Amino acid sequence: MNRVAVALCAALALAGLGASAGLVLPARWRSAAVGAATVAAGVAGAVAGAAAVSGTGWQVRVAGLLPLAGVTLAVDALAGWFLLLVGGVAAVVGVYTVGYTGRTGRGPAARGALALLPLFVAAMLLVPVAGSVSTFLLAWELMAVTSLLLVLSEHRHSPAVRTAGLWYAAMTQAGFVVILLGLAWLAAAVGGESFAAVRAGAAELSPLVSSGVFLLCMAGFASKAGAVPLHPWLPRAHAEAPSHVSALMSAAMVKLGVYGIVRVAFDLLGGGPRWWWLLLGAVGAVSALYGILQAAVATDLKRLLAFSTSENIGLILLGLAAAGLLAAAGQLAGAGAALAAAFLHTANHAGFKALLFCGAGSVLHATGTRDLDQLGGLSRRMPVTTGLVTVGALGAAALPPGNGFVSEWLLLQALLHQVPAGGTVLTIAAPVAVAVVALTAGVGVATFVKALGTGFLARPRSAAAAAAIESPPTMLAGMGLAAAVCTGLAVVPTVAAPALDRIATGLRVESAPLHGSGIDLRLAGIASSISPLWIAVGVVGIAVGFAAVARAAGRPRRRARAWDCGDGPLTARMEYTATSFAEPLQRVFEDVLAPEQDVDVTHSAESAYLVRAVEYRRRLPDRVESRLYRPVIVAADAVGRAACRLATGSVHRYLAYMLTALVAVLVAGVLR
Amino acid sequence: MTGAANTQLLNLACGLFLLTAVGVLGRRELSALIGLLTVQGVALTGIAVLLAAEQRSGEVAAVAVGVGILKAAVLPWLLRRILHRVPEARETAPLVNVSASLLAAAALTLLAYAAARPLVALAPSPAARAAPVGIAVLLIGFFLAATRRRAISQIIGVLLIDNGIAAVAFLATGGVPLVVELGVSADLGLAVLVLQVLTTRLQAAFGDTDLDDLRELHD
Repeated sequence: MNRVAVALCAALALAGLGASAGLVLPARWRSAAVGAATVAAGVAGAVAGAAAVSGTGWQVRVAGLLPLAGVTLAVDALAGWFLLLVGGVAAVVGVYTVGYTGRTGRGPAARGALALLPLFVAAMLLVPVAGSVSTFLLAWELMAVTSLLLVLSEHRHSPAVRTAGLWYAAMTQAGFVVILLGLAWLAAAVGGESFAAVRAGAAELSPLVSSGVFLLCMAGFASKAGAVPLHPWLPRAHAEAPSHVSALMSAAMVKLGVYGIVRVAFDLLGGGPRWWWLLLGAVGAVSALYGILQAAVATDLKRLLAFSTSENIGLILLGLAAAGLLAAAGQLAGAGAALAAAFLHTANHAGFKALLFCGAGSVLHATGTRDLDQLGGLSRRMPVTTGLVTVGALGAAALPPGNGFVSEWLLLQALLHQVPAGGTVLTIAAPVAVAVVALTAGVGVATFVKALGTGFLARPRSAAAAAAIESPPTMLAGMGLAAAVCTGLAVVPTVAAPALDRIATGLRVESAPLHGSGIDLRLAGIASSISPLWIAVGVVGIAVGFAAVARAAGRPRRRARAWDCGDGPLTARMEYTATSFAEPLQRVFEDVLAPEQDVDVTHSAESAYLVRAVEYRRRLPDRVESRLYRPVIVAADAVGRAACRLATGSVHRYLAYMLTALVAVLVAGVLR
Repeated sequence: MTGAANTQLLNLACGLFLLTAVGVLGRRELSALIGLLTVQGVALTGIAVLLAAEQRSGEVAAVAVGVGILKAAVLPWLLRRILHRVPEARETAPLVNVSASLLAAAALTLLAYAAARPLVALAPSPAARAAPVGIAVLLIGFFLAATRRRAISQIIGVLLIDNGIAAVAFLATGGVPLVVELGVSADLGLAVLVLQVLTTRLQAAFGDTDLDDLRELHD
């Protein structure tokens, strides 16, 4: 029997088992059982994905499972990549969950919240393997509903959770509706709803239909992926969800938005005109820049990570757009490299973001706060967590030897080496995109220096941070696994080359975009190569060398007081906070961020020249949200209030409405 | 029994079925309404029995018996019990007066016949030709519920709607499966029981059962 089939069925069965275990077991054993089942389901999903990316396909149609359409599953290399990604993240997060939810049986460890976790994983595994429009929509909705319920699992904790849930529910359902419209339109236009039929019939579609389908699907998938301007749910839901759920959502679920775009635009529609890709690239560029700027000035650790998710999705979309544009211009080598960059970045981001969200969860678990201005000094109290988070931050900052570096380097290579013969649009768009990636990378470094520096180094800024305790071993083990995966991806990204080759061939872009000897990473048709392993060895070697030289130089160690203007010992109040660290950036990008600042100076009663107290307040509202969404919400609210007048409470009136509607439908039927 | 006689009887039953619905709109005494509803239940049972005889089907006959018990005996009995507890004899001020209601019933019946043409065209048997009667009764029931003030009138409106649906189901498909009919009947019995409780509570709270007293049901 097919390996993919066995592993996939095992994954779904294990997830079901985990869900029932979460429902029936007592609180003592619940977390461990559900965590173990999630790990097992994730591993099985990853095994299925690994088999699929190494060339084993699988297709099945179960007619009786759903009325009318039945369930169609189809696994190819593209689906395999995302299976591997979701499975890997689920395995890591499953281990972490055991420690994070603990044995209290409340909040995220409640019966329902735990039982939903394996179901969420199962839904995410089903999305990429769906082989027909109806199956895909079912899996998509299942994923949306389970994730929404998981986001709400701490709803008793604070009203912010409920607001986040509301935003997420509204946006994910709106996204589902536009995807439904797009895919239903596509299926109706080609006269078949299985992906194979759509693929076969896509060539004869009129440009109007294919562009309409592309726009609808892109809107829905980009909102799930958290691309600006469809992102407002993301910083809320990621920040307010329990951390293991945030990790799953940010590392795995938003990637399925990327999967949707690739599946529909590249695979089902078979590529399209240039303006599609320019639009996608513009969305990607705006997401990358706006996301990282908001992350740079955020003081809430999880909000920072959430905006960084928007940024990384922006980079991935930029890669996809470059691939589409280059393929449309006939530059298949560059297209292959851009596609490889985008896919590699999905894996890299999944690795380091799972690690970082788990790290944020550990901080929250240890101190009870996510506010970077209240943290600090955690490296002493939580050395292992700090070390692991450093690995993730290195990847997120895209600095060598982190894993984010490799994919961003690939993306830059693909953009830089496009041939000038590609036309005016490409000649202008490529340098702009390069500038966007470069600026994003630069601000990204500042962002993660801030997160790591103010959160974990220096002195604790609050009693809670000073009393932090190291996380339980299962949480550390989960993060350790993620860190190991990150390191692997950073050092030997060439292991992904055969998989990327199969995906690119499946998408008719270019075969073998990457090849390498296991150490070197070379691009097909582009004269550049990189050796991440040697870079890592070099960086680590230099660091160790410096330390050794410093020690060997034999200067006796001398303890001295740091310079403090002669004003007594340094206190935590004198440190850079997250706010103050980001202040210069905030000043530079003031026109974009539009911060609301308040400085209140209280003078002494004796003299106006003597200041008794200075109070500084800063708010950084999401500008896209206030400009774009507020008017819509206000208008919808007004319509709702106006509609209230229709509902007076009179039973007769309601019955009359129904009768009128029924008669109107019948009359319309008669007149037709 | 010959086919022609059977068709004649079927048409007679359907005519009686529609006539009782119109009669319900025309009368104001609540006890008369219940009497008319009982007659309508008998007519519906007649339709079911005739269909069962035509098809020689035991299952349809069983459904017919069930329908007869429920619509011609149980439900009228329940309604009379409610009426006994709530001493209101007349629908004093309907939102639309009786003559206008009768005109509306005529319009609704015309609409039902016009709208059901495609349905009849699917299988033009004598039974299917009579199916628009069911839709007409459904619409009349809806109209009754929307324009009468007393709670019992509303219950009767709901029952008319259900009778209409049941008649369409019988006439258009030649008999519904027993399971479906059982489910619908259980549902209906429950609805009437709930409405009975509601009516008694209304009476206790307001002294009458004018549903327009229930104005708080909005957000």
